[in-house]
Amino acid sequence: MPVPPLAITAGRRPDNEGERALVAALRRGDEAAFVELVAQHGASLLRLARTFVRDRAVAEEVVQETWLAVLDGIDRFEGRSSLKTWIFQILSNRAKTRAVRERRSAPFSSLAGADEDDEGAVDADRFRPESHRWGGHWAAAPADWSLLPEERLLGRETLAHAHAAIETLPPRQAEVLVLRDVEGWSPDEVCAALQISDGNQRILLHRARSKVRAALEVYFAQGATP
Amino acid sequence: MSADVEHLTCQQFVEVLTDYLEGALEPGERAELERHLVICRGCSNYTEQMRSTIGLLSRLGDPPAAEPPSGALLAMFRAWQAERPA
Repeated sequence: MPVPPLAITAGRRPDNEGERALVAALRRGDEAAFVELVAQHGASLLRLARTFVRDRAVAEEVVQETWLAVLDGIDRFEGRSSLKTWIFQILSNRAKTRAVRERRSAPFSSLAGADEDDEGAVDADRFRPESHRWGGHWAAAPADWSLLPEERLLGRETLAHAHAAIETLPPRQAEVLVLRDVEGWSPDEVCAALQISDGNQRILLHRARSKVRAALEVYFAQGATP
Repeated sequence: MSADVEHLTCQQFVEVLTDYLEGALEPGERAELERHLVICRGCSNYTEQMRSTIGLLSRLGDPPAAEPPSGALLAMFRAWQAERPA
């Protein structure tokens, strides 16, 4: 049952009232409110969980644990962040704990910053060497993807390659990329949910996007014609 | 012209592109990057590749999430509900 739209108050989230109503309904034990919340966020939670624990069944367990933690904690939810941010914060923490337990997350299990490798966004050998007059400039310019047929650029197989590329990312990079670019969250929302600084968020996003782009470049170059 | 290209190398360009797309560059840096972009086809293609990548990623989020809770999840909810003080 959708929450009815409410008048927008300047400077406030338009869905503030709706969210408060949803929280109140959950506190009353209203099943319809729970069903609505799961419909809104269930698939996204699973997607995020899978950036940490790739086994689908385990990821589903993490999501279910998250929902239980949400229900158990709903009386303490103070609305300082949005309900969505709070739920994803819970998921992120649980998924990390689980990933460590499953030993699926070597880069993450070390301290923050562990996956902040110093690799460049693009392989250094794509640029002319320092000694060259045009040192640091492209040895061969990247291809113009606008020349690709649309079904190649946006096709199912290409999407599958993008998806596969995400799965190879270090978890923290994958997490930021999924929330920002797949789920379409704002930088502020991601920082709040993952409890990271804006600068860190941008670094992780940069590395993640660069790697996905590079993977797509390899893919497009391989099968020059479908 | 070439002086501008020399100012910012392509290798540096690709490292600040996310900051540029995120609107996180200082006005001066932004202007320098845009000057480079105008005269460098490689970096202009690279930027478009990055925009295409971002566009593609957004499609992975389709269709919008809307799954009913599984039986197990509903059972969990009902157990929680039953334990709740009235």
